[in-house]
Amino acid sequence: MNQPLLSIKKAQKHFGSVRAIDGIDLDIQENEFFALLGASGSGKTTLLRMLAGFEVPDGGQIVLDGQDVSHIPPNKRAVNLMFQSYALFPHMSVFQNIAYGLEMEGLAKAQIKARVDEILEVIQLGDLARRKPDQLSGGQRQRVALARALVKRPRLLLLDEPLGALDKKLRGDMQLELKRIQHEFGITFIIVTHDQEEALVMADRVAILKDGKLLQSGTPREIYEQPGSRFAADFIGVMNFFPVQSSGGTLRAQDGSVIQADAIHMADGPGVAAVRPERLRLDGPGENSMTGTVTATAYHGLDLQVHLKTSAAPDTVVMRLTADAAEARPLSAGDTVTVNWAARDTRAFAD
Amino acid sequence: MTDRKPLYLMSPALAWLTAFMVVPCLLILALGFFRRGIYGGIEYTFTLENIALAFDPLYAGIFLKSAWIAGISASIAVVIGYAAAYAIAAAPQRRQATLLFFAVLPFWSNYLVRTYAWIVMLNREGLVAGIATWFGYDGELPKLLYTESAVVVGLVYNYLPFVILACYAPLSRLNPEIAEASRDLGGSGWTTFRRVILPMTVPGIATGFVFVFVLSIGNFVTPALLGGGNFQMIGNLVYAQFLTANDWPFGAALSMFLIAIMMGLLTLQTFATERASGAGREE
Repeated sequence: MNQPLLSIKKAQKHFGSVRAIDGIDLDIQENEFFALLGASGSGKTTLLRMLAGFEVPDGGQIVLDGQDVSHIPPNKRAVNLMFQSYALFPHMSVFQNIAYGLEMEGLAKAQIKARVDEILEVIQLGDLARRKPDQLSGGQRQRVALARALVKRPRLLLLDEPLGALDKKLRGDMQLELKRIQHEFGITFIIVTHDQEEALVMADRVAILKDGKLLQSGTPREIYEQPGSRFAADFIGVMNFFPVQSSGGTLRAQDGSVIQADAIHMADGPGVAAVRPERLRLDGPGENSMTGTVTATAYHGLDLQVHLKTSAAPDTVVMRLTADAAEARPLSAGDTVTVNWAARDTRAFAD
Repeated sequence: MTDRKPLYLMSPALAWLTAFMVVPCLLILALGFFRRGIYGGIEYTFTLENIALAFDPLYAGIFLKSAWIAGISASIAVVIGYAAAYAIAAAPQRRQATLLFFAVLPFWSNYLVRTYAWIVMLNREGLVAGIATWFGYDGELPKLLYTESAVVVGLVYNYLPFVILACYAPLSRLNPEIAEASRDLGGSGWTTFRRVILPMTVPGIATGFVFVFVLSIGNFVTPALLGGGNFQMIGNLVYAQFLTANDWPFGAALSMFLIAIMMGLLTLQTFATERASGAGREE
């Protein structure tokens, strides 16, 4: 593999006694759309600020293009950050906001104008160039913030919860828009988000952070299909958990039934077996099976969510049936059903 | 208007101001158009003599000098006060209230006492002279007390808390990410201050400057105590017309100009703040 664009090596950052970043190693390739995913307090924002130069690591290195930039101030890094609050300059027009970064590079006026006009075209805000930020809608402000960072043509563009302030419909549009722009400009994007769906939809690769540590990284598919820990399994998407006791590789659920799993990430003792709702089938093939009572059904258009009460798990088990499967076998609350799933779709984790 | 509540709530304050501020002011202003009685007092004949007299080079000179002193004081106060406010706003959140308290503390003591304290410090045997001697200076010290500089020092000292408070307000409301954005886009610390922080806090600076200027130009206590007997600012002149010369109509005419200057500046400042509104606001 080529030399990565960015290498984070054993990065550490303490705030008082809190370890915000606790030894993170991560390589990011040229032209990647990378998502840092974590709950608040996971260290994802601190890591992003470290890449931008607003935090200096206490230990470890940040290597960009083969150069250690750990101690290079933000104004001297080929990295730009799109702030969560957008942080537009309220006393400057849209044009002036976007031109600011180019003025700092000492470019000629004509050149600045050409570059700003070009990017205004990309974000489709050409006619609003003279407006002040407080005369723009939230979505427009978001695009100006993006353009202001993008116009500098950085090696690395960091986006801190870029879609957090937008409503749901707009967020969906902007997810695709960001992907398109990343593609068009060929700039490496690192996005910080707590929204796992957003991370899965947009990113080429995702890293899950927890308590300042890197839990797992991989493609959205790997993260979703092969979570490496109970936390990752729970954090991404919906997961059914069956408490189990493991002894000699055999997993036994609380009602005594045996659950077979291909991937076992636990030693003997208590743990959980996990399976995704869409992997559960009615009377289908599969090594595992259980019987339960339907407590509720919820229609979601594309699929039907069925809630089951079973003696194998204390919590409600969720099953997603495709529209076809739901039509073939109409279900209503109170029905007793037998559900099957395959061992290869089952993973076991320590508690 | 459907909701009249604001009007009801404001009416006590409006009534108070009208009865004890607006009406007396108008009465004084009206005096400016009457003739002075032979033995003091007022002769109720309309005249523009008092207005014309205010343009006499002697008095116009005092006006200019007052404006000069007020302008210098306001400028110095803004520079010192802005720096202090910046430092306070940059301090850890939990210390800011304490720092502000100390910055405003002198305000709670009597104005006269504070001004007399400066006499103690600046006179020939005072603290400043004492320190100079202690450091081995035995030559003749320049005159400190009863000078124009002493007046400026006194005014700056007295009105500094106003400036600190006026500048602190917009500085503390600045979203720190905005300054970071400037750094991120390649701006140095100084550029960030000059192009982002300073323009966004202009309303505070304007408010602080106008406050000090307006309070200074009409001040008569500080010039009288620190400027010495021969030093006159417009406030002293008005004071003298009413209380010594017994020429109320001329005093009233001078007041008219003074009030006009103040109102003009306050209007300008309000206008400037309105225009810049949004600048200090967070995103």
